[in-house]
Amino acid sequence: MTLAPDEDLMLQVRDGAGEMLGVLFDRYQTPLFNFYSKLTGNRTLSEDLVQEVFLRILKYRQSYRPGTPFRAWIYQIARNARIDHFRKFPAERAFEPEMLPAVIPSDSAQEQQETELLHRALSQLPEDKREILLLCRFQELKYEEIAELLGCELNTVRTRIHRALKELRKSFHQLSQNTLLKQANAAAAENLPPRGGR
Amino acid sequence: MKCEQISELLPDYLQGSLSPDQHRTVEAHLQQCADCSEEVAVWRKLSLLPIEQPSPMSRVRFEAMLQAYLAGSSNNPGDNSAWRKRASSWNFFHWLRSPLGAAAWSAALLAIGVYAGSHLAGPKPPSPSSDLAKVEAELASTKQLVVLSMLQQQSASARLEGVNFTTRDEQLNPQVLSALLHTLRYDPSVDVRLAALDAVSRHSAQPQVRSSVVNALQEQQSPLVQVALIDQLVEWHDREAKPHLEKLRQSQDLNPAVRQHADWAISKLN
Repeated sequence: MTLAPDEDLMLQVRDGAGEMLGVLFDRYQTPLFNFYSKLTGNRTLSEDLVQEVFLRILKYRQSYRPGTPFRAWIYQIARNARIDHFRKFPAERAFEPEMLPAVIPSDSAQEQQETELLHRALSQLPEDKREILLLCRFQELKYEEIAELLGCELNTVRTRIHRALKELRKSFHQLSQNTLLKQANAAAAENLPPRGGR
Repeated sequence: MKCEQISELLPDYLQGSLSPDQHRTVEAHLQQCADCSEEVAVWRKLSLLPIEQPSPMSRVRFEAMLQAYLAGSSNNPGDNSAWRKRASSWNFFHWLRSPLGAAAWSAALLAIGVYAGSHLAGPKPPSPSSDLAKVEAELASTKQLVVLSMLQQQSASARLEGVNFTTRDEQLNPQVLSALLHTLRYDPSVDVRLAALDAVSRHSAQPQVRSSVVNALQEQQSPLVQVALIDQLVEWHDREAKPHLEKLRQSQDLNPAVRQHADWAISKLN
């Protein structure tokens, strides 16, 4: 397994060592897949888009310039691939939460429930807000890189992230309250004796 | 400090890039403000979301794509010859161990062979622009070969993946379609047959699809598959299926639930 930086590998791909793309694929297919699947809720589409990203890298490899951070470059391609796809197939745009994977059983029931609520809260956000949260929280892009990716000022990125987080909190809070209420009602129905039975 | 002022600092606080002074200011505010501290809590909780893994097919498809692309590039006379030279030194060991990888790899090799063969037979070298179109056509046919070889695998889960792989395309190559119809009728695994039914039902405009589903009705022994076939015929409102359904319900050792289902279907088709 090579430890070469992404940028060196990409330059090798550009200069003819196509096989090195396999190393980059191994490094990026899971993060990219998660970016797409958390954004669209659709696993099949996400896998297709990951393939498209790597096909585009091959096609446009000559346009990669030394000194360009590879992570930012590949996410630029990834965003464009998604935008182009939805331009062609606007009907697929809707988030498909029924395709979310079952939440992996975790240590505590509470944690599992929170994960599920969080998943739902995230899927309820408008797409651009979901995207910016995914980019900074899961893809570990720096704010500067996100600003370049989205073509906006650094301060705009900060504001947008904060707005998205605010909305996520609200949505999560509301979902949690609803769940608690339901649980309380269920518990009450179970424990209380029927009224006026005497 | 007010929430508004804090909100300007919060994004950098989350990334840990505030100065120690600013950091303390935010922490002090978070102690008192429930909303802001909940925002931070939600941000931290995001790490609870599981990291999902793409299916193994993803790697297989990538290899097929890369090989087709390398083969396409090496046929381009103006291209960097390093692409051709290095294509053979590619290390596949970790991936080749799986039967899935082996199948796709052999399919990819076959595709390259077919491509090289047709290219050598051609009278003149392609222009760079037609080359790209060729590579894309090549990718499509490599994909077909991958599917065809997956449908022949020993492992049911590999065959299942092969079937599911076909559902990504709106149009099916006739060879792939007839392989799917064969799978629907003869695959030993019920799951694979059910998936094949689902896959071919998307192509009901093709005449052989409906007739194969009707024929499968008489052949299938598994009640699950029988019920799925019946449902499919009802969904298509296929009136011609009625005599076949009647014949089915009269077979001697038919599962009573299936017979009931067939009765229901016949009434639906009336």
